[in-house]
Amino acid sequence: MFGRLNELALKHDWIEYAAGVSMILGGILVIALITYHKKWKWLWKEYITSVDHKRIGVMYLVVSFVMLVKGLIDGLMMRAQQATSVGDSFGYLGAEHFQQIFTAHGVTMIFFVGMGVVFGIINIILPLQIGARDVAFPFLNSVSFWLFTAGGLYILISLMIGVFAGTGWTAYPPLAGLKYNPGVGVDYWIWSIQISGIGSLLSGVNFLVTILKMRCPGMTLRRMPIFVWATLATVVLVIAAFPILTANIAMLSTDRLLDTKIFTADFGGNPMMYINLIWAWGHPEVYILILPIFGIFSEYIPVFSKKKLFGYTSMVWAIAAITFLSFIVWLHHFFTMGAGANVNAFFGIMTMIIAVPTGVKVFNWLFTMYRGRVEFKTPMLWFIGFVVTFVTGGMTGVMMAIPAIDFQVHNSLFLIAHFHSVIIGGVVFGFFAGFTYWFPKIFGFKLDEKLGTYAFWCWLFGFLIAFMPLYLLGFMGATRRLNHYEASTGWHPLFVTAAIGALIILAGVIFQVLQIYVSIKKRKEYKDTTGDPWNGRTLEWSTTSPPPFYNFAFIPEVHGRDAFWSMKHAKETPENRPYEDIHMPTNTGIGFYIGVLSCIGGFAIVWHIFWMAGLCVLGIIASLIIRLGNKHPHYYVKAEEVERIEKRTRNA
Amino acid sequence: MIDAHHGWNLSFKPITLGFIFSLILTAAAYRIVTHYHLSNTVLTAAVVVLGCVQAVLQLIFFLHIGLESKPHWNTMFLLYMVFLIIILVGGSIWIMHHLGYNVMPTMDKLHNMW
Amino acid sequence: MTQSKAMKHEPLPDPYQDEYSRTTFGFWVYLLTDFMMFATIFAVYAVLHKSTFGGPGPKELFDLPSVMNQTWVLLVATFFVGFGGASVHRKHRAGTITYFLLTFILGITFLWLQFDDLSLLVKRGASWKSNAFLSAYFTLIGTFAVHIVFGLLWIIVLILPVIKRGIDMVSVRRLTCLRMFWQFLNIIWIFIFSIVYLLGVIQ
Repeated sequence: MFGRLNELALKHDWIEYAAGVSMILGGILVIALITYHKKWKWLWKEYITSVDHKRIGVMYLVVSFVMLVKGLIDGLMMRAQQATSVGDSFGYLGAEHFQQIFTAHGVTMIFFVGMGVVFGIINIILPLQIGARDVAFPFLNSVSFWLFTAGGLYILISLMIGVFAGTGWTAYPPLAGLKYNPGVGVDYWIWSIQISGIGSLLSGVNFLVTILKMRCPGMTLRRMPIFVWATLATVVLVIAAFPILTANIAMLSTDRLLDTKIFTADFGGNPMMYINLIWAWGHPEVYILILPIFGIFSEYIPVFSKKKLFGYTSMVWAIAAITFLSFIVWLHHFFTMGAGANVNAFFGIMTMIIAVPTGVKVFNWLFTMYRGRVEFKTPMLWFIGFVVTFVTGGMTGVMMAIPAIDFQVHNSLFLIAHFHSVIIGGVVFGFFAGFTYWFPKIFGFKLDEKLGTYAFWCWLFGFLIAFMPLYLLGFMGATRRLNHYEASTGWHPLFVTAAIGALIILAGVIFQVLQIYVSIKKRKEYKDTTGDPWNGRTLEWSTTSPPPFYNFAFIPEVHGRDAFWSMKHAKETPENRPYEDIHMPTNTGIGFYIGVLSCIGGFAIVWHIFWMAGLCVLGIIASLIIRLGNKHPHYYVKAEEVERIEKRTRNA
Repeated sequence: MIDAHHGWNLSFKPITLGFIFSLILTAAAYRIVTHYHLSNTVLTAAVVVLGCVQAVLQLIFFLHIGLESKPHWNTMFLLYMVFLIIILVGGSIWIMHHLGYNVMPTMDKLHNMW
Repeated sequence: MTQSKAMKHEPLPDPYQDEYSRTTFGFWVYLLTDFMMFATIFAVYAVLHKSTFGGPGPKELFDLPSVMNQTWVLLVATFFVGFGGASVHRKHRAGTITYFLLTFILGITFLWLQFDDLSLLVKRGASWKSNAFLSAYFTLIGTFAVHIVFGLLWIIVLILPVIKRGIDMVSVRRLTCLRMFWQFLNIIWIFIFSIVYLLGVIQ
């Protein structure tokens, strides 16, 4: 009746109980607060059923932040284990628990923090920057978000019901196959990624059509902000890479559910093909994470340097080069798996080449700052932090691009230090910068600068203290994912240092939480009254902060790059046009319902409750059919209403 | 296909033409494989070529690729995806074939990949 | 009302920004992602097609005449769906309904022929569990069949409003996407038929 779900699924060790209980308490607290403030209807109307890209983007950021906390705790637990599990002591985590933690850490950070913040920011900013009222398919946007959330929930649910995978975040077979891991852990992993992956793919299509088809009059491709170019490249990667992941994981799933022999160690199966395909997706994935961040830097560095971006054309070419090259380097993730010198040489050379366009971009940002009148607001601090950390990571990447070197450091802590350098230095620092830069636009008030600065320094020094030792440990022979080592290795002091660094990062996060709290309390003082708090150059700053739900009362017309800068300095007086009716999409709960059904359905497949899974699939199909039958997916905002909103917000 | 504004969305002619071409090419491929005793390489080449030609003709006559207005996004993205598919499928075959590079040859047929 | 000389009106960067153009282009991009997904399964088939674990291979197992029947049926279905697409653009209600329903009937026929084929294989002991070659084969054919099932369901969902209320811009848009879907599936079938079946029989 309930498949393989029984009371044993709820049996855990004390740490997992503590985690589960604190999650439930946290959830209850949130529900209590919403109920106390009588905000359920508001939440349903304004956010859950919203198809507004700005609202959906904020929801992505909220979910990503929750998942960031989970992922950070995973990281802290790993550091604590490795700092204490030496010689006679075996730390405090059992081996199986430790395996689940590093697996969940990877999945959480890459899929639910990395992809979440990237899609969140793109959602909020992209339509505003191209002068559009929303993305091409607002309903699909809502579906994508709820699928994303549904996938993320499995990480949290698996803490309480059953277990998560203990295979590492890429879940290689045959370990992840039916024979060696018949339990629910890998299945949770599969459905978490599969469901959120479909959301990502749909978002990719959505943003692609938005950029190509919804730019305002005059905005040719060459006049787009670099952030839009970066987003275009990102979604071009998404649409090609994610189907590979979908097919690959589906085949792992049939191996587990239907006993197919695709990635098995026997009956002719070939586990290496899984590894080949997962990285054919996995390499473009890391560029999907970083390209929008490069776009963010290109946006605010000119603003805070009071100087236009250096080398717009070379920036675009660099983005194009990175996009193309990211598809022909994937084997560098498995140099050591026996493909021979010729194959390794080709991929090694391609990997080294891809560093060049990235270098071009970093130099262009620095040249933008050079001879500018730089204001070191926190986004600029994050950029300097990026240069220090990301460049280190990039250089160690080029080192490992040489197969002979990689044979020494593959899957060692040197590798871990490398990718954390580029992900934290790149994605995380860049996101924090973009978040600070665009926060006033989204919420109507600036973030507290002082607390932001403290947060930055904690993150930067915390990162250096946590990860520089890992480079050394890698050279000293420390493999990744170790839950215990001998004292004679001499690694212990370095692990302790790394743990201290992790705590400093935690302090940084606490400062950020404090920053948001204080900024909300002081929001009247930090209010953005003009919509253009930084003297910006691009179209999003032409709206009020926050923008009206329709973004622009009149679709802007653009005559060159940095369109808003030209508008501000134009000698022409704007015409006094009469307001017009605006066509907007209506809210709908169907996206939310599809998310709920997907979550339950995936859960049912994990636990082999196939009748429930079948019902959920039927429910999703029914929801889509109901949506197709919706007679009022759009409505008109009357011109008088637009006029009223404009007069009220612009005269504040 | 993309443009409601173009004539070929309304026309039955390209569909009929495409259908006839497809019938001929399919029958030809089937006949060559079943009735002619040629070497494997020639047969393979014939099948692949006939298949690709049929696919291209169907793309043009049924899906109107290349006939949309400027900018030709449909064609561009099709070519992009085909290019990447060639890299993925070709690259995977190349890599997987080479994974036995350092392995000693075995006489055990059960574990044969190629 | 003064109009400054410098203010010339810029054209739209893409002149086709209407909902029909956006939707059909977006759907085309989705079909391309589906193409990549099939390509991945093809790549797996290419790597695993010789791994029969000592069991019979394509030459012994594939029933080429049956596959040819499936191919003809699918081709005629695609022919009809093309006519359906043209009819809906001409706002011919009767033609639209007829051609899409013919597609439906042929699609069901295709599935039935394919199911016959595959169940015969399973009866002979050659199932998706037997070895890597058969797993890859069943995965590829099975994924294709699932797409056909969705295509059939979609025909019903879209034709019912046309029967009830006739053709409007919404049905033109949606039926065009449906038509594209069937034609795309036929192109995938060309590759399956050529590479899996014909080449399989040659080896």
